[in-house]
Amino acid sequence: MDTVDHHIPVTVLTGFLGSGKTTVLNHLLRQPELNGVVAIINEFGEVALDHLLVEGSEDRLALLDNGCICCSVREDLIEALADLAARRTAGTIPPFHRVLVETTGLADPVPVLHTLMTAPGIVGRYRIDGVVATVDAVNGARTLDAHPEATRQIAVADRLLVTKTDLASADVPARLDALLAAINPVAVRHHVRNGIVDPAKVLDAGLFDPSARSADVVRWFEAASQAANAPHEHAHHCEGEHCDHHGHHAHDQGISSYSLIIDEPIQRDAFARWLDYVAALKGEDLLRFKAIVNVAEQPDAPLVVHGVQHVFHPPIMLDGWPSADRRSRLVFIVRGIPRQIIENTLCKFAAVSRASIQRSAA
Amino acid sequence: MQMHKSFADAVFRNGRIYTSNRKQPWATYAAVKAGRFVAVGGERDVAPLIGEGTAIVDLGGRMAMPGIVDIHNHIMMGGQADLYELRFASSDSIPRIAETLHKAASAAAPGAWIVGGQFGNNLLNELNTAESFALLDAACLGHPVVLRDDSYHNRWASSAALRLAGVKADSPNPTDGEIGRDLRTGTLTGVMIEAASGLVERALAASGHYTAEMDRAAVARSISVLNTYGVTAFIDAASMQPIMAALKGLDDRGELTAWAVCAMPVVEPGFMFGKAGEELFALREEYRGAHVKPDYVKVFLDGVPGAKTAAFHEPYVADPVRGCCFRGATMLTVPDLIRWLGRCEKLGLAAKIHCAGDAAVTQALDAIDVVRSFNGPTHLIHQIAHASYIAPDDVPRFAELGVAADLSPIIWYPTIFLEAHKAAMGDERAQRFWPNKDLKNAGALMAGGSDWPVIPIPDPWQGIEGMVTRQNPTGDFPGKSLWAEQALDLATVIDIYTIDAARAAGLDQTIGSIEIGKSADLIVLDQMIFDIPPDQLADTRVEMTFFEGRKVHERT
Repeated sequence: MDTVDHHIPVTVLTGFLGSGKTTVLNHLLRQPELNGVVAIINEFGEVALDHLLVEGSEDRLALLDNGCICCSVREDLIEALADLAARRTAGTIPPFHRVLVETTGLADPVPVLHTLMTAPGIVGRYRIDGVVATVDAVNGARTLDAHPEATRQIAVADRLLVTKTDLASADVPARLDALLAAINPVAVRHHVRNGIVDPAKVLDAGLFDPSARSADVVRWFEAASQAANAPHEHAHHCEGEHCDHHGHHAHDQGISSYSLIIDEPIQRDAFARWLDYVAALKGEDLLRFKAIVNVAEQPDAPLVVHGVQHVFHPPIMLDGWPSADRRSRLVFIVRGIPRQIIENTLCKFAAVSRASIQRSAA
Repeated sequence: MQMHKSFADAVFRNGRIYTSNRKQPWATYAAVKAGRFVAVGGERDVAPLIGEGTAIVDLGGRMAMPGIVDIHNHIMMGGQADLYELRFASSDSIPRIAETLHKAASAAAPGAWIVGGQFGNNLLNELNTAESFALLDAACLGHPVVLRDDSYHNRWASSAALRLAGVKADSPNPTDGEIGRDLRTGTLTGVMIEAASGLVERALAASGHYTAEMDRAAVARSISVLNTYGVTAFIDAASMQPIMAALKGLDDRGELTAWAVCAMPVVEPGFMFGKAGEELFALREEYRGAHVKPDYVKVFLDGVPGAKTAAFHEPYVADPVRGCCFRGATMLTVPDLIRWLGRCEKLGLAAKIHCAGDAAVTQALDAIDVVRSFNGPTHLIHQIAHASYIAPDDVPRFAELGVAADLSPIIWYPTIFLEAHKAAMGDERAQRFWPNKDLKNAGALMAGGSDWPVIPIPDPWQGIEGMVTRQNPTGDFPGKSLWAEQALDLATVIDIYTIDAARAAGLDQTIGSIEIGKSADLIVLDQMIFDIPPDQLADTRVEMTFFEGRKVHERT
């Protein structure tokens, strides 16, 4: 297997209207770490670029003084990415090693992810690095109440940036945290003031990078499976009526998360068949699926699988297991798929024995 | 028992009314208002509902029962064949067919298509020769001719028809089909197997041979034929747009005299052409009517045993073309079928899955098992159509998975079909056909159907007798039985043709039994079927058929 990854990682930055996404973007575009990054943004007008511009050769493409290539896309993302790759090869733009895509506030990030996972000409050149969602500490809870799109953005995210924490009263971030934990306990949460965020916390989630250290990946899965199975934080931190309302609301939209730890190695073909069935029958409600699998046929190389709805990324094989713990871990963020169905079907179609499934986090 | 204080529109009295309702199997009186039964029982239950305007139908002690449900037919074809096509018997020899055709060709307008049927599919090998083709071409006098076989999956076409269809000696076989060629000379024989039939049928459809008015007339004709046999509900097993348009057109005109459930093909079948799948499903509300229910889809998983296109676990008898170990194949993979079923369940559509071979049955059950495991219980009842060759291990799965067995066509006794099956897979295997009793014992929901025009006459009484006797009621194959242990008792068979079929068609709240609140679909018989020897069941004549309380057939 080719261990050098030629795919350009793509980070998707999403967040509802007013969630502080543009402020975060404005901050990021000024950071030296953005050298060699292409930032595909919605509109030049929204971000204050003027004094950063080195060169604005066309109205949709600009080189900033920190080496970031800024690009606005109104048409097709596929075309834009293909075009960028072609220009990079032709040498008409400086080489870049990473892409940051801003989605519109109302957008469902899932189609963007599907594009990156399936579009011809894109799949071979780019890979998903991660989804980062901004959510506003002051209005976030209300937004999530009112807009299912916002909930979806949170549900598919790998990282959450809780913005405007400086403006919120002391208890609000805690309540929002609880709500976010109910929707997506797996995503890492960072609090952000004035849009100031360390680029490392946005870029390079690294989970689906074939060259990632397997220890990091396994550590992520350990933490994620613990988080997914932990009782929601609001049970501990907040007793208020208001909070309960939000906690239940997340459940009303039917979004939940859980993880399974499987002790015994899993047969590759049976597992692939099960994935096929899940995609065909439950794809619409499988918002995010990530798994590290101990494959019976290849016990020394953990397989990392990741899916967004019915689309699965080609599995990535890691170099080796970092410790003696070689249990498979499956992490789900779903809308209304009972855990019982996942367990039953794994037993029935993926040749997993029921005794090997652990229900609580280790 | 009674429901309304106001008077009934009609009352049936003095009958021996078998209700198909377990709680009240027999009644002597039934009252109807606004097309629904409002009282069922004895004189006392009904008398208060008789007013001045109430029509009285005196049954004179005759037997009545619920209207029969035909779980599987092709509602346009029978009428089309009756009105517009050349008919000959499936037992006719090739010279006999040629003779019939020659007469028709002599009378036909210049250049006109001649459409006919049905030849026995046991003739396919004999037809697939240069000699037989020469006989056909000589008889058709240059007309484009397409003749269908009794399975409706295969065709025999003249040179002119092949020319219009663009079929040449070197044309490649279509996927899932075969263009017949003489084994020695390699020249065309006019035989078109499975999907190859489509090449000729498409050319026929493109010629404008049939119009919308002709379609409506054909469907109306078919339904009036069904009514004469006591059928008041059916599933059309491959509903393309022209069929649904004809049904809806009749319903809107108040001329539809049966409940029509439509099974829309997920892909274009080999014998009908036009929109299928999602494109067709999207139109279904346009065709929904008071009595037209486009709530099923049709999936073809394999072909037919006689043509060796059905998928079996064990190989067919060896032949020069397919070699020693040919088992047939399914047209969809299990994952594909799962995707379709998942999609259909999302749309609220149940599936009727054509499975002629036991391997196809297994695959369909496997796919449904996966869907049930992920989706949980459903009110939708999927059907395995032609549940006839079934591996013993699969028999209990029908009940376990809530799958209905569509028993069609009416060939659960010795027939010419069975002879073709014997040739294809040997006597012993061929005769393990229609394990009806095993299915019943395993608790399967079963429904009777004709598959008309695969069977030339959609007479359920032949089916009813045959299910009880397992012997051919027409007198063909005298003294012979097909797997006699699989015979069923009459009460069970009547359920299979009424309430159980209604359940399988998703209409058991509306039809299938004579019960208060249900559609007043009632038939009057010329004999008390529970009092006669079973071999007389097929002689039963339907004296009158009522659809929603309205008389739609009376025997003259």
